[in-house]
Amino acid sequence: MEADLVARLEEKERQLERYAADLRETFKAERARSAQLRASYMATVRALANAVEARDAYTGHHAERVAAYGLELARTAALDIADDPQTEFGFLLHDVGKVAVPDAILFKPAPLTDEERVLMERHPVIGWEILRDIDFLGDAKLVVRHHHERWDGRGYPDSLAGDDIPPAARVFAVADTLDALTTDRPYRPAGSFADARAIIRAGAGRQFCPTSVAALETVSDERLEELRTGIS
Amino acid sequence: MSRSVLIVDDDPFIRRLIATTLEDVAGFHIEEAGDGVEAVAAARDKQPAIVFLDIDMPRMNGIEACRELRSLDGKPTIVMLTAAGPEAEAEARAAGADLFLTKPFSPLDLLQLVDSMPS
Repeated sequence: MEADLVARLEEKERQLERYAADLRETFKAERARSAQLRASYMATVRALANAVEARDAYTGHHAERVAAYGLELARTAALDIADDPQTEFGFLLHDVGKVAVPDAILFKPAPLTDEERVLMERHPVIGWEILRDIDFLGDAKLVVRHHHERWDGRGYPDSLAGDDIPPAARVFAVADTLDALTTDRPYRPAGSFADARAIIRAGAGRQFCPTSVAALETVSDERLEELRTGIS
Repeated sequence: MSRSVLIVDDDPFIRRLIATTLEDVAGFHIEEAGDGVEAVAAARDKQPAIVFLDIDMPRMNGIEACRELRSLDGKPTIVMLTAAGPEAEAEARAAGADLFLTKPFSPLDLLQLVDSMPS
């Protein structure tokens, strides 16, 4: 009788071990699938970002540099968005709406007319519309839509101000200007990080979020250079 | 009408484990029986689509119960819960079992088995 009881308990034990083993294997398989999914999301985002950049030899790798600068600023400011893949997705895809801007406007070597500027300034909304139905791009879409907002509310497309601007878009504005000022353009050579810092500092509280500007102050020129050379 | 699954094992723990594993999977209604006699009565009454049948049970064991179930009108898919080894399988097959699940069974195998059955 006792031997029978022991045998039955052992059977239960083996059965539970089998469940535990399946659970462990399922978890491992799920983790691997999820990593694979994340990698394919990132590859898709990069492909899309590269397709946009392929049009413009001058800004080559702009999106990747902005993403690297932006993530560094977010990490420095200890923002939660630094760990959210949506932030990097948004940084990489910010200009996807430019596919709808004609070459004659995008590459015009002279100031834009009012009409041309209206067209140009539609690119954040167009980008947001292009990505709207892609479920895995969540808050990334907010960066795309709001990357030209200004801290003082004088940006576009929604004239958001201050904390109403999504955090990643606030950080983005600083990273974007930093890269624009420190890369060669058809009409001027690249400026130094020091010059770019001075200009950005002057825009704190007007064009830029003060916290994001403060974060830039704590990142050294050497670190920025390291991020830049890591990309090209 | 939801199909039903009859789980036959003298150990309520094993019955509970199978029932919980299959819960919500394919909308099955789950019935339980503790031995072969109860199993045959339940099968007559409920006409289950699938019967999970343990072999070693009091009153009427799984092999006998399998033969009885085969003589009934309904044509359930009978999954015999066997010990490992070809002899156990051969005996179950001879009694009319369609499929086997070796104890200790894998819950994933259990789910896949039910999933692969025509609905």
